[in-house]
Amino acid sequence: MQRRHFLKLAAAASLSGCEMRLPWQAPPLTVLRPGMAAGHALRDGLPAPDPAREREVEVAILGSGVAGLFAGWRLAQQGYRNFCVLAGPEPQGNAAGSALGGIPCPRGAHYLPLPSLESAHVRELLAAFGILRGNPSSARPEFDENVLVHAPEERLFINGAWQEGLLPQHGLEAEALAQIERFTARMQALREARGADGRRAFVMPLALSSQAPAWRALANESFANWLTREGFTAEALRWYADYCCRDDYGAGIEQVSAWAGIHYFASRGGHAANGEDGAVLTWPDGLAPLTRQMSATIGAERLLPGMALRVTPRGAGVEVLCLNGAEAFRLRAKRVVLAMPLHVAAHVLDLGEFGFDKARDLPQSASWLVSNFLLDGFPREASEEHPLAWDNLRYGGDTLGWVVATHQWIRAARPAQTVFSAYHALPPSTGRLWLQNAAQDELLELAGRDLRATYGRDFERRIQQVELTLRGHAMAIPAPGFLQRPGIAALRAADQHILFAHADLSGLSVFEEAAWWGEQAAHKILT
Amino acid sequence: MPHRLLILSVFIVASCGLAYELVAAALASYLLGDSVLQFSSIIGTYLFAMGVGSHLSKYIKDEDLLARFIDIELLVGLIGGVSATLLFVIFAWVAAPFRVVLYALVFALGVLVGMEIPLVMRVLNARKAEFAEIVSRVLTFDYLGALVVSLLFPIVLAPQLGLARTAFLFGIANAGVALVAAQAFRAELRQATALRLRASIVLLALIAGFVGAEAVTRWSERGIYGDQIVHAQTTPYQRLIVTQWKDDLRLYINGNLQFSSRDEHRYHEALVHPALSALAGARRVLVLGGGDGLAVRELLKYPGLEAITLVDLDPAMTQLFSTSATLTALNQHSLTNPRVQVINADAGQWLETAPGSYDAIIIDLPDPSSYGLGKLYSEPFYRLVSRHLSDTGLLVVQSTSPYFAPHAFWCVVTTLDEAGFHTFPYQAHVPSFGVWGFVLADRHGRYQPPKAYSVPLRWLDAEQTASMFRFPADMPRPEVEPNRLNNQALVRYFEEDWRRVIR
Repeated sequence: MQRRHFLKLAAAASLSGCEMRLPWQAPPLTVLRPGMAAGHALRDGLPAPDPAREREVEVAILGSGVAGLFAGWRLAQQGYRNFCVLAGPEPQGNAAGSALGGIPCPRGAHYLPLPSLESAHVRELLAAFGILRGNPSSARPEFDENVLVHAPEERLFINGAWQEGLLPQHGLEAEALAQIERFTARMQALREARGADGRRAFVMPLALSSQAPAWRALANESFANWLTREGFTAEALRWYADYCCRDDYGAGIEQVSAWAGIHYFASRGGHAANGEDGAVLTWPDGLAPLTRQMSATIGAERLLPGMALRVTPRGAGVEVLCLNGAEAFRLRAKRVVLAMPLHVAAHVLDLGEFGFDKARDLPQSASWLVSNFLLDGFPREASEEHPLAWDNLRYGGDTLGWVVATHQWIRAARPAQTVFSAYHALPPSTGRLWLQNAAQDELLELAGRDLRATYGRDFERRIQQVELTLRGHAMAIPAPGFLQRPGIAALRAADQHILFAHADLSGLSVFEEAAWWGEQAAHKILT
Repeated sequence: MPHRLLILSVFIVASCGLAYELVAAALASYLLGDSVLQFSSIIGTYLFAMGVGSHLSKYIKDEDLLARFIDIELLVGLIGGVSATLLFVIFAWVAAPFRVVLYALVFALGVLVGMEIPLVMRVLNARKAEFAEIVSRVLTFDYLGALVVSLLFPIVLAPQLGLARTAFLFGIANAGVALVAAQAFRAELRQATALRLRASIVLLALIAGFVGAEAVTRWSERGIYGDQIVHAQTTPYQRLIVTQWKDDLRLYINGNLQFSSRDEHRYHEALVHPALSALAGARRVLVLGGGDGLAVRELLKYPGLEAITLVDLDPAMTQLFSTSATLTALNQHSLTNPRVQVINADAGQWLETAPGSYDAIIIDLPDPSSYGLGKLYSEPFYRLVSRHLSDTGLLVVQSTSPYFAPHAFWCVVTTLDEAGFHTFPYQAHVPSFGVWGFVLADRHGRYQPPKAYSVPLRWLDAEQTASMFRFPADMPRPEVEPNRLNNQALVRYFEEDWRRVIR
């Protein structure tokens, strides 16, 4: 080969990206901290420029996470036109998606359980998008099979081998297995438990759960405490319960309340005509397609870029000072919906006016790391019996495993590239600070820990690109006492010019809860 | 004269040494893949072993120099000569210790070859030649021999002779050096006759090996595939093997028989004609899978067809069946016919984006043996296919054996029912497969099997057709679930059914 030709080739290779990466070069890394800079600027009270323009609108929804988009979707779907949605610093919130190498992948939440009968609002949404077919209020509706998680769904690496499903079984002693069986039966029974008011004790959305004090008292102790008291002492069982809580609440059984812990297991009673109980709905880029479809219904003309800096009641309406890039503008609305986390809302508005006491009512938030690895080919699996599943988890650690972004693709052969998305919930007390200060190497070490333990060098050498999404305030932790916060109750009840919609009103962050508060805000506006 | 002879032997010995190294590395690359790893680890092992050999050479006493040199030549010739064939046989018949034997052989050869040059130098030194002259001459011819072989091996030897016979050829050269040396230095050797006899026996054995190597190789290939391999290729998607025994051509994908040229006409006539002969006005046909072009060959018998689109995953497969003389003779150059468009894509991905609708769609995919393939037999996939089928069009799906895998076969039928089709399952006897199953499907349930065929056929006729659509009493329809993406029931049925059949 001529030297010139070689140089040209080398140049072309470096232009076309990472194919020619040498073994000792680290793969291209992107670190995202959604909303962090804007949020911290807001906290530090940086001065904003004078508003250059004004816009008048009947309803302004501030924030475009699931709660804000759901409120907007409901308004648009009911024919309500005079509103806008201000995207905020974190568009799509925890339901955001990404794409690496053209492969869609999640930057946050990645699945939705089959909605129970009480989650009528979610069923309606899914029906509107053609994902749920037939009568949305039937006990067993049919779901789009492309979206129902494909087999094999889950596997767990435990005692040196993979097993099917995440509930530990392989290599456990009889006592542990018996406890796990008893626990499963107990949670099954609690699905049907009702309070004196006739309502089910654990319902999604949690606002529809029984208000009977006997059940709500469970919110005052930790889940770990309750498990011990009930004789659930087996290590494997406690690890599993801890994993489930970390996966949904960002904090383990020591931190979350017993009510929330049980709610995880007992509230998801959805069924599908064409899927097994306990199935989930998932898209390659997590829940992002739902946010895109809600945005499409709302209409691009009603989605404004920018974030709210200050919300001020003025006469019969509300003024919102907004910032888009370097430009400030003012929204004048009859009503606003604060569809943002409460720790942010506390900086744009004096929540004390509503009887909200930050010290007493503000939930502690969990920190998350979502890591997407674009891989050249699939790493070699040790087990033929238990091939790569959608969700893959290792027993015993404090990691949350990884999902495969191309799992739902209908392909005869595996695609040439794929994305593995690994999840980590950081320890609530130290996690946020660690995320803020960790060097890239440390972040990468944590991000790929499970995958390296599973595949070793074969994983490393396939990495083409890495995208890390750091969420310092990812979600509220449903800690003991979370159901008894008077300030939260006050914000839920607000029905004048300023309304609130966010999963923080539930105290736990899942799609159904966020959507529920969006639904409530829309309902107040429409009636 | 003996002086020159020794220098010449250095040239031959050096060639042989490099040749064994190349043969071992090439064979390992061919059988194990990852050629960079194989070449570098084998060359490394070999050079290290040569160092060990050079070290050991000092333990040979001066008076034994020539005799040991001849012994070593014989041993190198013998081990190097049989190395390739031995490795091939081990790979074909005993799977496990291949790598152990490979590296042991390479190491042994390296040690022996490493002793050669020091010995020759000492022999020359003992004959009072000037040391500087010895080093210069010996090393010059050593490196020259390496150059010659490194060029001959890839250009002439490997392609013309193959690895097994190349190894024997160099073994013969080594033994030849031994024999000539034993002859030339007989005056200086104590047991010259015995040495000559030994050298002659080894030489004869190696010549016999050279002649018989092909038979042994063929025999070991038969150990893997039953017949002689005429084409072997590993693609990113699969391993393609074409074998031939007399006039029987067979294609294996990942070790599974895809067709035998003896009876593939039965399979492909059954796959294509019950549908196509019932579609008088068909213009456009889509084939998913079927990269061997044999279904297309049958389709091309219909002059009314204007466009045939074939979507097959593996470009290597369609390339092979478009260019190989024996294979294009079998598919009658169907893939290069102007009416045929070949697209290399994953059928699932292609259907998601491709426009257009077809009068007939023929799905000739491999059996549902993996979750990936299972997705291409699922209800959502058939709904996707349905969007590309004209209102009166027909769909045919190869559906594994209704006799050996009844649950799998009827699961395909049930899945098509579930996807909104009216189904017409049928079965045909293909000797090399046994009873094989197909499902024909349409939208309105109007399909009638043809009463006559207007195109030339070797096997199918009206009577066969009528009997194909009747399922005898020993093939009842079991109760099965449809194949959903979230349960992959078909892959499970398929595995369970075949596990019951294969011992």
